[in-house]
Amino acid sequence: MKFSYSQLPGITSKVVLVPLVPLTFRYKNHDFATFALVDSGAVGAVISTVIADELGIKWREVPAMIGYTLSGEFRAHLVENIRVEIGDAEFLLSLNIVEGISPFRCVLGQRDLFKKAKVIFEGYKNQFEIIFKHN
Amino acid sequence: MNTIKMNLEKLLKGYKSGWVGIAEDFSSVIVSGRNLKETRKKASKIKEKIYFFPAGETYSNYIG
Repeated sequence: MKFSYSQLPGITSKVVLVPLVPLTFRYKNHDFATFALVDSGAVGAVISTVIADELGIKWREVPAMIGYTLSGEFRAHLVENIRVEIGDAEFLLSLNIVEGISPFRCVLGQRDLFKKAKVIFEGYKNQFEIIFKHN
Repeated sequence: MNTIKMNLEKLLKGYKSGWVGIAEDFSSVIVSGRNLKETRKKASKIKEKIYFFPAGETYSNYIG
């Protein structure tokens, strides 16, 4: 699957484009379709508490752990075995539900998408490709 | 292989707050509401797959 990079609202510079992938999360009898940033620099998947609530995840009952970024610390709740669909591909991942981040925040990283697929960034074409493994 | 194209800057133009529901082909916003609950409720009446995204956020913190 090939995807174009997207411009973001409010950022009119055509230089600032981001690799966003449309996906659907499924957890028990809930589902939520949105867009995730494909981030080769992210260790693992992240969603906001807003998205977690939509999926019916009782994240407050999961002990918080402290994570670190360049900009400081964050509190996250790790929840496992969340199903994600991207196109025809499906896989299970662990999600870090991070407190206090913007509602739209959704990121896929090295421990999830990059373990399941080859991801080719072609910035010079403003596009990227995801090729899922077949095992 | 066709490239799936979407441009959130164009899609969300005119939506200053709340949440929107974007069509499966990423061509248009097909539902919107003051909050996610309202948007999901409206979307439940539509059979098409809908991708949800908030409007009016500061998206610059997506950029590292």
